Amino acid sequence: MTAPPVEVGWLDAREMITRSELARSCGLSEAEVTELVDYGALRALSAAAAEPVFSAECLPALRRAARLARDFDLDLFTMALLLQYLDRIEALERQVRSLRAQVPFHALPGPREGPQPWHEPHG
Amino acid sequence: MKYKDYYAALGVPRDADAETIKKAYRKLAREHHPDVSAAPGAEARFKEIAEAWQTLKDPEKRAAYDELGRRPAGEDFAPPPQWAREFGGGSFEDLDLADLLATFGRGQRRGAHRARMPQHGRDYESTVRISLEDAHRGAKLNLQLGDEEGGARTLEVTIPPGVSEGQKLRLRGRGGKGRDGGADGDIYLHITLAPHPVFRADGHDLHLDLALAPWEAALGAEVEVPTLDGPVVLTVPPGTRAGRKLRLRGRGLANGRGGRGDLYAVVHIDVPGALTERERELFRQLAAASRFDPRAVAGRGAGS
Repeated sequence: MTAPPVEVGWLDAREMITRSELARSCGLSEAEVTELVDYGALRALSAAAAEPVFSAECLPALRRAARLARDFDLDLFTMALLLQYLDRIEALERQVRSLRAQVPFHALPGPREGPQPWHEPHG
Repeated sequence: MKYKDYYAALGVPRDADAETIKKAYRKLAREHHPDVSAAPGAEARFKEIAEAWQTLKDPEKRAAYDELGRRPAGEDFAPPPQWAREFGGGSFEDLDLADLLATFGRGQRRGAHRARMPQHGRDYESTVRISLEDAHRGAKLNLQLGDEEGGARTLEVTIPPGVSEGQKLRLRGRGGKGRDGGADGDIYLHITLAPHPVFRADGHDLHLDLALAPWEAALGAEVEVPTLDGPVVLTVPPGTRAGRKLRLRGRGLANGRGGRGDLYAVVHIDVPGALTERERELFRQLAAASRFDPRAVAGRGAGS
């Protein structure tokens, strides 16, 4: 028995997602997605098209915000704020990872995973 | 069908007003939400609370629930006969109380049978940790998925080459089966990279610590450095200072678009922990002969 190959989608800027699919994937209505665009929490790639399309990059954070909104019974405007903060956290985490990658192993404080430093910190 | 005590789940009296119920729910949700609580059983407890809330927050559902009267939790009972009529003549046999009450909130009591409502299959979210080499070259891995009935299945997934830390992937239609014409669910994968003994990843770029002896840094040298493709010889220019990044173009991680990131060798200068008599003598001579003062200009450790 051979299973059909699994289609892997990249949820980043290389893929696009339509409004209807974005709404369905997040358990929202299309009107709610449009309202999030109005609040500035989401940006369509081409608003002029018959159906707006979005970067697939926005899907994971929107799913998370939509789930939290459902679980905590938040209204759509609060969810828009939440989404903006989740995006901001994601960007900051990326920046922290990037900066950490540039710090030599021996300069990183505290216990960590990876190879052992060959210099003990002075003092 | 098993009776569930939704008021007890939220810890409110049966005559509590909407505001009290909302407050009780929010307080408990904040405490037990799986994003907040790492306690074992938090997720199950949260589901209980959420199920109670879904019914009690909706006046129509709450009224229907209240019609059932007060019973001990877990007691088997049959819903009132008129429900079956209003529910569209369907059977309650395989139905959960929450599923049944859910239909009251959707305005489908009159003759709308639940079989007509397409239900999207369950989505799964999973974090997978892979090695740097697997991210670069792609990898096959077996994903364990638990289903709602408590069973488990294994799915073989091919991670394409080119993922980086934090990459999210979606496997369409590989989640739970949809019901009544609804689409199958998806699987969302969140990729993290295991720490590597030599390289640190920054997106698709890699960083590597390159230790140089003082004379190698001062005079320049040809040194062997590891890369994902095996060792290569790197030319260190004379006068290389600590902290300088020497770039090996295209020796980073594959980016999945036919290109590759770069590899940066970050220089730091090491000295022998213990000197031989001869080394000590040579360093003394150097110290006497040199007019170099590292603290005169850029400050210690700075510069490139």
